[in-house]
Amino acid sequence: MMKRYIGAFLTVLLLMGSLTGCGGSKQVEAQVFAMDTVMFLTACNGDGEAALQNAEAELYRLESMLSRTRENSQVTLLNQASEDFGKGQTVEVGDEVCGLIEQARTFSRVAGGALDITLAPVSSAWGFTKNAYRVPESGELEVLLTHVGMEHVHTDAAAGTAWLDEGTQVDLGGIAKGYASDRVAAIYRQFGVTSGTVSLGGNVWACGTRPDGKPWVVGIQDPNRTEEADAYVGKLHLSDAFAVTSGGYQRYFEEGGVTYHHILNPATGYPAESGLTSVTVVAAESGTMCDAFSTALFVMGEERALDFWRSGAYDFDLVLVTDDGRVLVTDGIADAFEETEGSGYVYKTVS
Amino acid sequence: MKLTTRQLTLCAVLTAMALALSYLENFFPLSLAIPIPGVKLGLANIVTVFALYALGPAQALLILFARCFLGAMFAGNMNALIFSLMGGVTAMAAMIALFRLRRLSVYGVSIGGAAAHNCGQVAAAVLTLGNTAPLYYLPVLLGVSLLTGALTGMVAALLFRALEHTNLLKM
Amino acid sequence: MSTRPFPKLRPGIWDALVAAVVIVLAVVCAGAFWVRGTLAEGELTAVVSMDGQERERFALSDGEMERTYTNHGYTLHLLVQSGELRVAEADCPTQDCVHTGTIGQAGQSIVCLPARIVVQLVRTGGSSDVDVVIG
Repeated sequence: MMKRYIGAFLTVLLLMGSLTGCGGSKQVEAQVFAMDTVMFLTACNGDGEAALQNAEAELYRLESMLSRTRENSQVTLLNQASEDFGKGQTVEVGDEVCGLIEQARTFSRVAGGALDITLAPVSSAWGFTKNAYRVPESGELEVLLTHVGMEHVHTDAAAGTAWLDEGTQVDLGGIAKGYASDRVAAIYRQFGVTSGTVSLGGNVWACGTRPDGKPWVVGIQDPNRTEEADAYVGKLHLSDAFAVTSGGYQRYFEEGGVTYHHILNPATGYPAESGLTSVTVVAAESGTMCDAFSTALFVMGEERALDFWRSGAYDFDLVLVTDDGRVLVTDGIADAFEETEGSGYVYKTVS
Repeated sequence: MKLTTRQLTLCAVLTAMALALSYLENFFPLSLAIPIPGVKLGLANIVTVFALYALGPAQALLILFARCFLGAMFAGNMNALIFSLMGGVTAMAAMIALFRLRRLSVYGVSIGGAAAHNCGQVAAAVLTLGNTAPLYYLPVLLGVSLLTGALTGMVAALLFRALEHTNLLKM
Repeated sequence: MSTRPFPKLRPGIWDALVAAVVIVLAVVCAGAFWVRGTLAEGELTAVVSMDGQERERFALSDGEMERTYTNHGYTLHLLVQSGELRVAEADCPTQDCVHTGTIGQAGQSIVCLPARIVVQLVRTGGSSDVDVVIG
């Protein structure tokens, strides 16, 4: 009698435990530390476990290939060859790195040089690669800038080799995370994942819809209120879309009362002062493109960025935040954009 | 409250018995069957129920305090004092109220006391932890108190029956 | 002469009533928890992980608390206050986690890369809150 009661109560207890635990659809999650950031992945439906495992392995593989700070990565080998042997030393970097360099070359060209993977030595001079910040002399920058430019990077796609001119260094960091999001998206599709989110340090891919069938809600950080992590410029309701945000607020240092941020203008070697505080690029197809353009358009500024968008050469949409308190949303995602009430911004749809 | 020597002696004996029962309880760890903090038989409650009837509320309360303080001192665990006191006092209050109704048998009084005891302990846990998580155990503890309360009630009833023809209860 | 009535020794209908009240109380309590449990899926919960492994999970509504986590030789002091959470102090070189400030909405997180500690806020229910944050 007593035992039966105890059994019944234990059952109730266990039931209560299971009810307060996980409910609803099965969702798997992963956190990956790679590419100097932490990445969050969630997946529903399909073989989520396998998708995440493969995605994680892929992210590590990409890091070991594309990192500029890791020994023996293809990018490091390429940079070292230029440093140690000078001009023209070819390095077998493989088709993938060759392809990425060529993609970067294209993006750089169409963006009028506003993004450049050869900016690496300049970025290093500012200390952004090693968190040892300093303001370089203008003369130092001038010398370094002579080695900046995609004309100093050469590839042989057929041989899978690349080589750099003397003094030139490359850093694929500006597109690596975007490329990684493309790769993870492909893996998700391969394993039949139809719902999930991928967040790779400012690079987001919204896979399908939320389990409840609604689009994923992606909050865009308010660049003026970075101390408050829940201060959003607005929210994007996205499904099957990439979104990447670039902003000077993401990394900066102060010296002598002046703030220097990490997005450098390839033309001057100084932090880009374009009147924009944050640029978000949204597109359905390519995370690599979003990553590249978010940086490039930040450097280009409002007018040139919108002209480039209007040219229709590439299919993407924008959320621009200006330093005079305006938020410009291009009409392609105007319906998916939710303004933040009381944020103090003036919202405008651009067409 | 004026105690006769006889009553004082009985109080002392009952306190000693309550302490002994608390100790004896350790040999029947109910918490092994039901892995929840605070689950126990509450054998010492037999004494409280008995004292309530035989001596009255004030004396029963006195015995309770003595038992709690001495028990905590012997165990060298003054932290446990707040738990046993909170539990004991709420149990006492509930039992006195039920006892006053005069319609209940020792079973009802004992069950009510056991249930109140657990409520008091959970309240103490909520207060000391500053966290409402212990409330989670309350339903199970209440269920258990039904059984342990009936058990102590039964023992108390046996006790009274045995003492029915002595003059121990007539004072 | 006895001044108090001799105790009733046989359980009666009134005793059953007391037992019934206790049972009802237990059931109501359990029911309340069950209801809260289902609602609690929308409750804001902090998930602390180290090296990608979930280590702890606690509700922000649990009141004020302090937590200390150590990993890879770095120590973070977490402060939970009025449903919000922040890293009050850390001995990591970057201090990013401290600079992240206060978070209080699902989908937000505080990350300490040197210590490889991540504090994430989740709301398991499907409210219209933000799922991911960029920028």
